[in-house]
Amino acid sequence: MSPIEDPRFLLRQFLWNKRYAYALSILSIIASEFVAVQFPNILGQFTNLLDKGRMNSALIVHYALLLLIVGVVAVLLFGIGQFRNGQIGRRFEYDLRFRLFAHWELLSTSYFRKRSIGDLLNHAMNDVRAVREALSGGMNILTNAVFLLIATLFMTFRTISVELTLVSMIPMLFVPVFIIRFGPRIRDASRQVQESLSDMADLTEESLAAVRLVKATANERVEARRFGERVEEIVRRQMAMIGRSAVFQSFIPLMGSLSFAIALSYGGYLTLKGTINLGDFVAFTMYLGMIITPLQQIGFVINNYQRASASLTRLSILLGEVPEIADAPNAVSLPQVNGDLRVSLPAFQYPDGQHHALEDISFEAPAGATIGIVGRTGSGKTTLVNLLPRIFEAPKGSVYLDGVDIRQLRLADLRRAIAYVPQDGFLFSATIADNIAFSRADATDEEIMAAAQDACLAEDISRFTDGMHTQIGERGVTLSGGQKQRAAIARALLKQAPVLILDDSLSAVDMATEKQILGRLRELRAQKTTIIVAHRLSAVRHADLILVLEDGRLAERGTHEELLAQAGLYATTYQLQQTESEEVSA
Amino acid sequence: MSQVQAKEQLPATGMRSLTRLLPFAKPYWLQFTVVFILVVIYNGSSVLQPYLVKVAIDSDISGPHPNAHGLLWVSVIYIAAVVIGVVANFSQIMMLQYAGQNVIKSIRLRLFEHIEKQSMSFFDRNALGRLVTNVSSDTETVSQFFTQFFLSLVRDGLSILMIMFAMLELNVRIGLYCLIVIPVIFAVSLLFRSRLKGAYQATRTRLSNVVSFLAENLAGMRLIQIFHQENRQERIYEAMIESHRQANVREYGLSTLFNRTLELLGKVAVSSVVWFGGGAVLHKVILFGTLYAYITYIQNFFAPINSITQQWNTLQSSMVAAERISRVLSQTPQIQDPAQPITPVQVGQLRGGVVFDHVTFSYNPGAPVLRDISFAIEPGAMIGFVGPTGAGKSSLMSLLTRFYEPEQGAIKIDGMDISSFAQDDLHRVVGLLQQDVHLFTGTVLDNIRLFREDVSEQAVVAAAQAVGAHDLIMRLPKGYHTLLLGKGANLSMGERQLLSFARVVAQNPRILILDEATASLDSQTEELVQRGLAAVSANRTTIVIAHRLSTIRHADQIYVLERGALKEHGTHEELVASGGLYANLVAESGVETSRQTDGNPPVQSQSAHVAARL
Repeated sequence: MSPIEDPRFLLRQFLWNKRYAYALSILSIIASEFVAVQFPNILGQFTNLLDKGRMNSALIVHYALLLLIVGVVAVLLFGIGQFRNGQIGRRFEYDLRFRLFAHWELLSTSYFRKRSIGDLLNHAMNDVRAVREALSGGMNILTNAVFLLIATLFMTFRTISVELTLVSMIPMLFVPVFIIRFGPRIRDASRQVQESLSDMADLTEESLAAVRLVKATANERVEARRFGERVEEIVRRQMAMIGRSAVFQSFIPLMGSLSFAIALSYGGYLTLKGTINLGDFVAFTMYLGMIITPLQQIGFVINNYQRASASLTRLSILLGEVPEIADAPNAVSLPQVNGDLRVSLPAFQYPDGQHHALEDISFEAPAGATIGIVGRTGSGKTTLVNLLPRIFEAPKGSVYLDGVDIRQLRLADLRRAIAYVPQDGFLFSATIADNIAFSRADATDEEIMAAAQDACLAEDISRFTDGMHTQIGERGVTLSGGQKQRAAIARALLKQAPVLILDDSLSAVDMATEKQILGRLRELRAQKTTIIVAHRLSAVRHADLILVLEDGRLAERGTHEELLAQAGLYATTYQLQQTESEEVSA
Repeated sequence: MSQVQAKEQLPATGMRSLTRLLPFAKPYWLQFTVVFILVVIYNGSSVLQPYLVKVAIDSDISGPHPNAHGLLWVSVIYIAAVVIGVVANFSQIMMLQYAGQNVIKSIRLRLFEHIEKQSMSFFDRNALGRLVTNVSSDTETVSQFFTQFFLSLVRDGLSILMIMFAMLELNVRIGLYCLIVIPVIFAVSLLFRSRLKGAYQATRTRLSNVVSFLAENLAGMRLIQIFHQENRQERIYEAMIESHRQANVREYGLSTLFNRTLELLGKVAVSSVVWFGGGAVLHKVILFGTLYAYITYIQNFFAPINSITQQWNTLQSSMVAAERISRVLSQTPQIQDPAQPITPVQVGQLRGGVVFDHVTFSYNPGAPVLRDISFAIEPGAMIGFVGPTGAGKSSLMSLLTRFYEPEQGAIKIDGMDISSFAQDDLHRVVGLLQQDVHLFTGTVLDNIRLFREDVSEQAVVAAAQAVGAHDLIMRLPKGYHTLLLGKGANLSMGERQLLSFARVVAQNPRILILDEATASLDSQTEELVQRGLAAVSANRTTIVIAHRLSTIRHADQIYVLERGALKEHGTHEELVASGGLYANLVAESGVETSRQTDGNPPVQSQSAHVAARL
């Protein structure tokens, strides 16, 4: 793992870079504490004057003003420090989130296959936030708590009574210990509640997804019982958690009040005996009120830091992931690509696979050729075409572009040379124009429109209210499967790459449109290499070479006519599909 | 359709959506009452504490006759008040949460049962994710109304009232002065509250933009990489997290400003109390202890007022959630059981003859997917339905299970209209084997018996043996007690199908609808599945929606369906001889029939299969 990627290193670096900003905000908080602790002291002096009968109206105004000034200054100083710390912490949060995304962009598809997106999002959102909370809120509270405690103790020791302070503080000392020990137990309980909640949600989803089965087997009551069990479990765990947090919520004020009770009786006794003044007594009770909060907060902050540290470790692992597919050490640059493809693949196995997904496949596609790949679901068509842009990594020496092993090519050059249309017509939630111009942000509206025209999407676009600039996706227009596929085709066409791969991307397009698109493709790509993966044989009929895959192997190969003559799988399938399409058009 | 619409109650909106949920809280009125009393005790103890200090100062410590004994007494009462307060508060939390959690439990149960009672068209209209959210998180939000909102209203409201009372009790004039602070805190809180809410929502919206951008881009990372647009997406992302950061800093700044302003107000209030209270002490209007109590009370004003103004948000969000819940609860299931269903005894004696009598059906009025379908099936027969995708085969079967109701015509089992059965009974008679096998998180055993406790383990084993799944199950790590994952990740397609066959045998319906699976299987499993199918269809009326002609070759009757109409029917031989649609289909898959005699089953079944899929 390079030290640059380690978030702990990033954190140290960040703290160092922001050392002046931090110094300023921390100083501001410290200053505020030393001002704030004057408040009880002034009130005490005021009390003493009153008590001793040496007070007059002018002095009252004087003290009231003094209290006001002390209060205002303390609050302002603290507010400034608190805000600045929060601001800096959020900057780090931003840095870390950016770093994560940039890192993910380097990782290959096999990495994402192994992980759920929800999990990754959790890292980017919650782990990063936990670190930020420790950095901003945690920093504030810790500075505040430590210095307020020091300042208060200093004041009570100096101005009131060491003995009284120590005796009164005994119950309060349990507070941080209690929080540190008890806090994690509440967190455990609350995690268990979350688990039972997601258990219930999972069951609901499972049951409603299978609602036909549930209904067809008259199983509604059994499902309701199973749901009831989950709900019951939630209540049980909720009550367990609430029990713990109720103890928590009761213990802290109880200790605070006990301290106060000691201060009242013992401090009262000392006052009564004349050991301390009434003013000292009043000031001391105020000091106690000030101290309870920081003691409480120290406990929270320690728990907070523990959580942040766990998050930081998780982020370390994430950022330590080494990209599997990257440029070779002395990668070859290929500025001009013709599109000569040669594949001679002895075998390919997914990194997490049990057996070979592809075996013994070789073919050549000279620049300008069109290759058709057919076969049933799971026969390895998509796997094969995914090897070309190095989405998955073929073994060394098995795929060549313009005579160079693609593993020796610069990744940027290789991918610049290939345009790809995925099966599902994946589009981003942006405008149609943005999606089509995905490969070239500088494309003009005319170019985009031309690509749309070639993909038979222009007419659909003209029907949208905002035309090409219609927002699609969750917050906009929902495209049909066929429209998505055609938009994805337009996106690939605009790239004008030497190699174009259509991965079963005409499946949701009707026959007539398919014919039109294929016709356009033949014109546009006369000099360029095109690979068409299809279920419908009509899509590959005019290909220069058709590969029929079965169970990851090449079952048949040849032109349409040759394959028909072979009277094999291709021929059978072709006949069946012919009649089906006649029925449709009849 | 229109009369169905009329049956639906209007969903409640706003406050009414919450009050409509109040009956769920009714069984817990006693708990809510006790909570109220406990809150009064707790607040009483809180208000008493500063007063006790005042008594100690004025009469025992700094009074004319210092009294150590009295001080001891006050201290004892003080501790007693503290302990009573803490105990009351603890009991209050537990009791309120107990009631609140149970209210939510009842709402959840009711909601789930209500959803499961709906007809299929409800599930066509309502997305699954939405319903799951209704059950899980909307109810959670509503629970805040019964706990947080209720508590705040009672506790904070009482707390303000009791402090006001204590202040006026000590000295009316000074008390009145102090009360000026209440509207000021309220005004400041409200002023900030709306801004804070705006800032908070801005942050949340931008954060959810970041989340959905990330989710989308992680899902589409392959495309970003193929199109080599890493930098471009990075820039967009950067702009998004930057705008989130700014909103977040603004929100943080506002909330810091708000909290500090309240604190500042507190300082101003204390200084003012010192100013005019000090004067009062000077002029012997009040004793010093009373001034001390005023200082404490005025500081105690801030927490409850601030907390109460926050409840506005809680109320808003629980109202929205309650509206969503009410929208679901107000839908009456479209398919209802008859008032006097056919008795279970009669149901137990059914033989399994099925009649469709001039049935027409549409999902959307005006676009019929089935037109005037009539046929009769003998009890115990095996019937095949074939036809191109979208011909209406599955819709036909959804009518027989009464997932939907026909627009015209009638469907009868042994001469009795299916709408005269209770749905539960009908579904015990008519079984359904779907293409995709749904597995539940649970053991193999429970997956076969569908968690029914009345089906014994022996019966499950027998069912599995009948369909040839037993050996396969015994090979799993823990046999019948192997835990399966919901998405069925740990079983192959063929294994899942065999499990679903075992389900049918364990359930033993008179009539079975079999929607043949299209998924590809390796030759060995394919053979297993075919044998399992034979076992499943024995001893009952079996209706097969066929995707492979080989499955229904020996069916008693084959129906050919095209664009919602029955085109031809007969046995395999009759239909081939008639030279119609079916004969064409058979001719096209000629390889299949000719090779069937080679004694090479794996190849033929697979090639026929490819033909059907491509």
